[in-house]
Amino acid sequence: MRTVLFFLLTTSLAVAETHWAFVPPAEVAVPTAPEWSQTPVDALLLKAPQGQVPPRQLMRRLSLDLRGLPVSLMEQEAFLQDHHPEAISRLADRFLASPQYGQRMAQDWLDLARYADTTGHAADQPRTMWLFRDWVIEALNADMPYDQFTIEQLAGDRLPNPTEGQRIATGFHRNSMQALGNNPRKEEFRVRGVVDRVDVTGQVWLGLSLACAECHDHKHDPISQKEYFQLYAIFNQTPHYGEKFEVRGPRLTVLRNGKEVEAQVMDNLETPRPTHVHIRGNFEALSEPVSPRLPALFGSEEMNRLSFARWLVSEEQPLTARVAVNRAWQQFFGRGLVVTANDFGTYGEEPTHPELLDWLALRFSREGWSMKRLHRDLVSSAVYLRSTVRFRLSAEALRDQALAVGGLLVDTLGGPSVFPRQPEGVGEFRDATAGKWTVSEGGDQYRRSLYTFWQRMAPHPAMTTFDAPSREWCSVTRSRTNTPMQALAMLNDPAMVEAQAAFAKRLDSLPETDRVRRAFRMALGREPSSAERERWRSIPSAELAETLATVLFNLDEFLTRE
Amino acid sequence: MIAPDRNLFLSRRHFLGATALGSLLSPQLIAKAQHAAKAKHVIVLFMSGGPSHVDLFDYKPDLEQWDGQPIPDSVAKGVHFAQISRQSGRPKLKASPYRFRQHGQAGTWVSELLPHTADVVDEIAVVKSLHSHVFNHDPAVTLLNTGHERVGRPTMGAWMSYGLGAENEDLPAFVVLTSGVKLQPLLDSYWSSGFLPTQHQGVEFRPSGDPVLHLRSPKGVSRERRRRDLDMLRWMNERHHAHTGDPEILTRIKQYELAFRMQASVPELTDLGQESDETLRLYGARPGERSFANNCLMARRLVERGTRFVQLYDMGWDSHGSLIKDHPRQCRGIDRAAAGLIKDLKRRGLLDETLIIWGGEFGRTPVVEGAGRLWGRDHHPHGFTMWMAGGGIKGGTTYGETDAFGFHAAKDKVAVPDLHATALHCLGIDHEDLTYRFQGRDFRLTDVAGRVIPELVV
Repeated sequence: MRTVLFFLLTTSLAVAETHWAFVPPAEVAVPTAPEWSQTPVDALLLKAPQGQVPPRQLMRRLSLDLRGLPVSLMEQEAFLQDHHPEAISRLADRFLASPQYGQRMAQDWLDLARYADTTGHAADQPRTMWLFRDWVIEALNADMPYDQFTIEQLAGDRLPNPTEGQRIATGFHRNSMQALGNNPRKEEFRVRGVVDRVDVTGQVWLGLSLACAECHDHKHDPISQKEYFQLYAIFNQTPHYGEKFEVRGPRLTVLRNGKEVEAQVMDNLETPRPTHVHIRGNFEALSEPVSPRLPALFGSEEMNRLSFARWLVSEEQPLTARVAVNRAWQQFFGRGLVVTANDFGTYGEEPTHPELLDWLALRFSREGWSMKRLHRDLVSSAVYLRSTVRFRLSAEALRDQALAVGGLLVDTLGGPSVFPRQPEGVGEFRDATAGKWTVSEGGDQYRRSLYTFWQRMAPHPAMTTFDAPSREWCSVTRSRTNTPMQALAMLNDPAMVEAQAAFAKRLDSLPETDRVRRAFRMALGREPSSAERERWRSIPSAELAETLATVLFNLDEFLTRE
Repeated sequence: MIAPDRNLFLSRRHFLGATALGSLLSPQLIAKAQHAAKAKHVIVLFMSGGPSHVDLFDYKPDLEQWDGQPIPDSVAKGVHFAQISRQSGRPKLKASPYRFRQHGQAGTWVSELLPHTADVVDEIAVVKSLHSHVFNHDPAVTLLNTGHERVGRPTMGAWMSYGLGAENEDLPAFVVLTSGVKLQPLLDSYWSSGFLPTQHQGVEFRPSGDPVLHLRSPKGVSRERRRRDLDMLRWMNERHHAHTGDPEILTRIKQYELAFRMQASVPELTDLGQESDETLRLYGARPGERSFANNCLMARRLVERGTRFVQLYDMGWDSHGSLIKDHPRQCRGIDRAAAGLIKDLKRRGLLDETLIIWGGEFGRTPVVEGAGRLWGRDHHPHGFTMWMAGGGIKGGTTYGETDAFGFHAAKDKVAVPDLHATALHCLGIDHEDLTYRFQGRDFRLTDVAGRVIPELVV
C-alpha cells in the first residue's frame, strides 16, 4: 500500500516536472527573419500575416487597444499628414505615452484584482477602494516594472519604510468580498477572504486554479491539500475580527485634495496566526498545523508575504512572466497563445506557439519587466499590423466610445467613483443597508466607464449587458456575448440615445454635403465607400443627422475593434 | 459522452466571439432529451425567506404534546440557529396553530393555510425530507439555485438554457419574475449564468416600467422609423459581412431583429388583459398589479410561448417576528395562484410538459423564536418541505419524513443535488451528462453528487 502511494506521489511529481509550464522558459533561437516579418515576434510565429490593413483602420485599432478610445478627427488628420516611414510606430508611442493608456490597461488589471466599490454579499456596503484604482492607473502610466508592480501590491506594507503608495498598492488583496454587520459567522467570512487571496494570487501570477486543493489534494495539478494550506498560511496573517481592527480590517488615512480618505490596506498581526489544514475545506474541522511555505513543486522553501512576492518575480520561477505575456497577447489578439489564460496547469491548453511564448516571457523578465515595452513589441509586429482578427469592444470601451463620438466625454483622471444615470429599480432588492445610487452632477455623468461606481451585487446595467464581470471574483477572460439585450441597450438606453443625439447635433452643424463623410470618419474612423454614399443619399435631409447617429452607433463595425 | 465535443464547440465559437441565442445546442443532447423527456419547461415558485414546513405540509401531532417544552438535546444539541440564542437555555418547541387535514385521493396532509393547494394535491408530489446545513438566506438560495452555497456556479435556469436552448426565438429562454414584501434582498447572482456564457443568464422582467430593460424605443421614434433604421443598419452590416466574412456579424443582425420582434412580443406577452375574467379569477390575478398571481399567469403565458425556465420569487416568508401575521398573508398571496397555475396548465394540456417546483431556501424551526403574541420561527435547513408537479412527476405522492418534531430529515432524505437530478430527469437529461468545462474541470449542476428519486417520477 505504502509503495503504491509512494509510486503515485512520485509519478505525479514526475509529470509535474515535465509539464511544459513548470519548466522555466528556455533560451529561444529566433529563426532568420522571413521578408514579411517586422520583429522577432513574427519570425517566431512562423506564419505570414493575412493581408493589408488600411492606415485608418490601423489607427482606430491602435487607439482602441492602447487607449480604449476612438481617434478624434484632429488626430486622424494629423496622422494622415504624417508621411514618415515610422508614422504608425510613432502613433503607437504617442498612445503608449498618453494618460489614457493607464486607464485602458487598468480596466483589465481591475478585473484580475476584483476591484469594486462595495463589499459584496447581501449587505453590499460602499467602501473606499478608489485610491487603489488610481494607484494602478498611475503605476501603469509610469510603466512601473511588473516585478515591482507585483511586490508592491502583494507586500508593499512589508517593504522597509513603505511609502504611502506602497501601502495603498496592497489594497489589491483588500478587494476580497467582505461580510459586514451582525453576522454570526465572522470567522467563516474571514477564512473565505484568505481563500480568495490564495485563489486570486494563483490565477493572476501562477496561472493555476488552486481552489480545488482547499478541500482535497488537487486532482490534476501537483498541489496537495497540505501545500494549499501552506500557501494559505502566507496570507493568513491579516488582522481582522475580534482584534483592534474588528470587521473592517486595517486601514490607512491619507490626504486627497485636503480631505482625509481611508484606504483599505494589508497589514500583519504582531503574533503570527497559526494555520491548520481544514479537513475537507471545513474551517471548523482543523487537522495538522502547517507553516507558510511553497509547494514541493516549487521547492518547499519557507516564505512570508514579502519573500513570496519576490519569489513570484524571481528568475527561477517558471510561470509569472509567461502568464503575464500571455494575458497581454490576449488583450491585443483576442485570445491568448495559451487559450486557457487562467489555467497553465496540466488540464489547461498547451501554447499554440511555445517558443514565441517563451521568447516573450524571457525578454519581459530579463529586460526590466516593462509592460509598455511588451505592449510595444506586440503592436509593432507584422502579425498585429496585418491581422484581420476582430472582436467586440468591452462594455467600458463601448460606452466611452459613444461618449467620445458624441462629444460628451469628460476625460479627467482619477478620484472617487462616479454615478452615471441608470434605470430605476437596479439593485432595489439588496439589503436596506446597501448604498443608494445618487446620480452624479454635471460632468461626472460623462467620465470614462472605469470610474463608474462598481456595485458588486447590482453592477451598472450598461456594464453587465456587455459582459463586464460583477467583480466578486477575479476574472481573467471576459466572455463576448451577442444578445438581443445588447441591441435594445444600444438602441434605447437613454445614455446611448443622449450620445447619439449629441452626435446628431454635431453633424447638423456641418454643411449638408459634408455630413455623411464626417459622420463616418468620426464614428468609424474611415471614409464611406461610394456605394454607401449613394445609399445614404436616399435618406431625407431632415432625418439625415439623426439616422446617421442611430445607424452608425449600432453597426457591428462600431461595436467591434477590427 | 457529449460534453467534450460540446465544450470544444462552445469554446471555439466563444473565442471567435460568436454565441448566438439557441445556436449552440448539442444535437446529441437534444436527441437524448427528446427520447426520454416528459417536461420541456420548468416553473420554479420560490418562496423567498423560507416557508414553515411544520405549519404548511409537515404535520407533527407530537409537537402538540411537547408544546412549550425545551427541545431534547438528543435532537438539537450542537445545532446552530441563525437568530435564536441558547443563552436562556434550550429553545422551546412550538406546535402549529393551524389545523391539518388529509386531502385528495392520496390523503396528502395540508394545513388550513393552503386550501387551494389542498385541492390539487393529487397532482403534486410533496417531498418532506429536504435538508442542508446552510442557514443564512443568501447562501441557502444560492445552494437551491446552483447546487453550491457559494456564488459563482451557473443557476438551474442557466443550465437549462445552455442544455436545451430556447424554443421560441422571440423571447429569452430563462425569465425571472418577482413579487411580495421585501424582507431580504434578491440578488442578480440568483439568476446568474456563473461560468456559462452570459447569454444563458436569466432575464429579469422588471416589476415596474418596461418589463425588459430598454425595451421601449426613445420618445418620438415610431415603429416605422425604427424599421427604416434597422433596414439601413442591416444593409450596412451585410455589406460588412461580405467584406470581412465574420459570422459574428450575421448573429448581430439576428439579435437586432430579435430585439425588434421583442419590442412587439414582450408587451403582448405581458398584457394580461387578454385573459378571460374566468382565468383571471382562477389565479386571483388583476392586470396592472404587481403580484405573485399575475406572475403565475405570466409564467403560463411564457411557457405557452416556449420559454424554457421561469423562476418566480415571492418575497416576505422570513417570519422571525410574527408567524401568525406573516404566514397567513404570504399564503393568501400564493395559494390560489399556485393551484390556479396547475389547473390552468392542465386544462390546456401543458401540465404534462411543464415541471413545477415549489419551495424556499429552507423551512422554519419547530422551536419558537420570541415569546408571547409576537412569536416566530427561525431559519431551518435540517429538514424542510418542497413540492413538485407536472411533467414527469408522480402526482399524489408524499415522499420522505422528518423526525417526530419536524427537526431533522429522518427517512428517505433528499439533498439539493437529488432534487436537481430528479428535475433534470423529468426534462430527459441525465444529470451526469450535462457538463461544462471550466478552469480545467468538468462541472455539472449536481457537481459530484445527485441521485434521481424513482418514487417521485413517472
